[in-house]
Amino acid sequence: MKLTIEHLSKQYRRDLWGLRDFDLELQPGVYGLLGPNGAGKSTLMRMLATITQPTAGAIRWNDADIGKSPDVLRAVLGYLPQDFGVYPNLTGLEFLEYMAAIKGLDGKSARRRIDELLIVVNLVDAARRPLGGYSGGMKQRVGIAQALLNDPQLLIVDEPTVGLDPEERVRFRNLLSDLSGERIIILSTHIVSDVEAVATEIVVVSQGRKLQQATPEKLLQRLDGQVWQWLAATDELAALKQKHVLSGTVRHTNGMQVRVVSDTAPTRDAQSVPANLEDVYLSLVAANGSGA
Amino acid sequence: MKTLRVLYHLARADFLERTRRYSFLLMLGLVLWLGYLSASGQFRMRVPPDYLGVINSAWVGATMTITVTLLLGWFGFYLVKGSVSRDYETGVGQIMATTPLSRPLYTAGKWLSNFAVLALMILMLALVGIAMNLLVGTADFNLWALSAPLLFVALPCMALVAAIAVLFDTISWLRGGLGNIVYFCGFMFALATTAATISTSAADNPLLDVAGFRLIGGSVAQAARAAYPEASSGFAFSITELANPRLFMWNGIAWTPRIVLPRVALLLLALGLALLAAAFFDRFNPTRVWWSKRKPAERGQPGAVAPAAAMPIASARLTPLTGTRGRFRLDALLMAELKLFLKGQPWWWYAIALCLVAAQLFTELTITRVLLVAAWTWPILILSGLGCREARHDTRQIVFSAPHPLLHQLPAAWLSACAVLALLGSGALLRFILAGETISILGWLTGVVFISSLALAAGVLTGSSKAFEVIYVFLMYMQTQQFPPFDFMGMTPASPWYGYALLAGLLLIAAAFARRLQLTTRGAVR
Repeated sequence: MKLTIEHLSKQYRRDLWGLRDFDLELQPGVYGLLGPNGAGKSTLMRMLATITQPTAGAIRWNDADIGKSPDVLRAVLGYLPQDFGVYPNLTGLEFLEYMAAIKGLDGKSARRRIDELLIVVNLVDAARRPLGGYSGGMKQRVGIAQALLNDPQLLIVDEPTVGLDPEERVRFRNLLSDLSGERIIILSTHIVSDVEAVATEIVVVSQGRKLQQATPEKLLQRLDGQVWQWLAATDELAALKQKHVLSGTVRHTNGMQVRVVSDTAPTRDAQSVPANLEDVYLSLVAANGSGA
Repeated sequence: MKTLRVLYHLARADFLERTRRYSFLLMLGLVLWLGYLSASGQFRMRVPPDYLGVINSAWVGATMTITVTLLLGWFGFYLVKGSVSRDYETGVGQIMATTPLSRPLYTAGKWLSNFAVLALMILMLALVGIAMNLLVGTADFNLWALSAPLLFVALPCMALVAAIAVLFDTISWLRGGLGNIVYFCGFMFALATTAATISTSAADNPLLDVAGFRLIGGSVAQAARAAYPEASSGFAFSITELANPRLFMWNGIAWTPRIVLPRVALLLLALGLALLAAAFFDRFNPTRVWWSKRKPAERGQPGAVAPAAAMPIASARLTPLTGTRGRFRLDALLMAELKLFLKGQPWWWYAIALCLVAAQLFTELTITRVLLVAAWTWPILILSGLGCREARHDTRQIVFSAPHPLLHQLPAAWLSACAVLALLGSGALLRFILAGETISILGWLTGVVFISSLALAAGVLTGSSKAFEVIYVFLMYMQTQQFPPFDFMGMTPASPWYGYALLAGLLLIAAAFARRLQLTTRGAVR
């Protein structure tokens, strides 16, 4: 099982590229796609999900070009878009039955799968009520369920935890961990903690280009000894922002605790602290010259 | 001053949003074409049977005015309606609701924007008229004579159309497809009333003659009688070719204050209607819609379902799927599409449908045909969702990323429409078979296929239900008039059903081609 992306580009207008010369090779695992708004994550997701076609380059699923034969991938694809709607007059159960028919699942498998999925996404009690009455988080969970209907080999989830409460977010992360194994999961988000919890590999995207691809451990190693923390005066903050990559601030009664990425200690008071993925992400994006 | 500024920006933003849509360009193209047809004398005003005015500036201006009020008065409503709905759908309305913007100011702004869109079309039409008059006019060019009827008749008429659109937009049950049908019926009724009273008096009451039919028709008929005393007092607007027309000179209407002022008063009436709309406008607060009996679920309010008790986080497990995936199962897909098609209707919808089917069985054949028209018109608001449901509910990314969306889902959706129509017309079919009415049977089959194809093609091509609703209600009205060129249902022996059967095939191909294009380009989803 292999998903290969070769020199992939998407041009919307003469001067507007969604993605440019993007290369990636994915084996089974959970890939976290991190990037600021407008980085090209959703453009990449939509091309992988066969919704839009690239301007240049190719996407291959087990060496088959999905630009030419998208149905090869569609049969094993689960996709949760960033924004999607539902049919308000159908119940959650009926919507999943409809999607199962569209995905070509046989009746028996569909019924069993839907029953399990309703438990997994915690919608058993609401399953027989019209979707028009669901909250945003409940609709998101229906979206997650439909993406998992055909037990996909390639699961693409775009900002999946938007609208979920903290408990459901943990549940979803656990679900992704359970699902990883013999499948490729691509999780796009700008919530670093979501990626941190489940991703086996992280791809950082900015301005339509790939900035970095590595395991979380390797990414963290990059900033070993480069993250500093100290208590600064509040009026120093603006100057610090100009000079350093500020990855965190916490207000205290006697000033502001700042967290900075820097090769050397910014002040004598600064103490070296272990790096986290947020530090890595912000420093990578800042180095590329784009803000989150 | 501040109020005017708010009004200006409200109308401006809405105007720009609309004029940057493809549908506006399409409509503008259509209007320019209509302008060409009327200015070149292909659309004709005449006094029956064959008295025709000399093409001069006044004649061109009046012909274009009648064209505008008749056609833009009808289509224009559908073009501008929906601006309030859009604010609901996009969520912009909720942001507006948190500002100090008052309800009358909002509806007045929407009216101004609607009016500006329609007025722009009239302006374009006037420019075509001027150009054409200079090219084909047989008399001297007179700018006032050409533009005055557009200014005093067409413009107030459009102001009224713009206001009615706002009013329909703010009344929840008229906001959707039902409003489109109600407007068509009202428009036809107003037209019929004007036409029926055309010869009764030339002195016009603008309220009874918004389209200017009586005002212009009366003056034209008077000029014809002055030249040919034997001429009737009637007036017609048609595309009929006249072999040897008897020409007369018509120099237009003398625009006295007695004629102009009531027309200008229509503008005030339009503004009044727009302000009246404020009384119905819920300011994007669905809980204020106290007259609505819809279930909360249908209004799309979140939180109507009580949150489920939390399951232990670790308890959820999925069994790997062993069955087949991605195989086409027409029966399952057809059932799913049918469910999607028919769900959400109140019980009385099904009861009336059942009554219509039963009534087809026990009435005379002439009545059966009328009942068939009624039965097939009944599901118009469901049929109009065909092909555009995915766009309307934003399920495109989910549905189109499933296997073979073109070869599986599209035919299943089409077949489900055919099945519903066949069921609703089953009583009539049985009657036609028993009576050996071959043309009616063929018309019935054509009807099932043609209506489904039309709905699918209109939905896929426009991404909206409006186009089908407008065309279909007109076509079904024509069935009741038994006008042979539109008789696809075999209502008359001269029915050209075979042409419509062919057209159905072409529409299907167009729908499939358009959907394929949507799937392979960035056109469908971005």
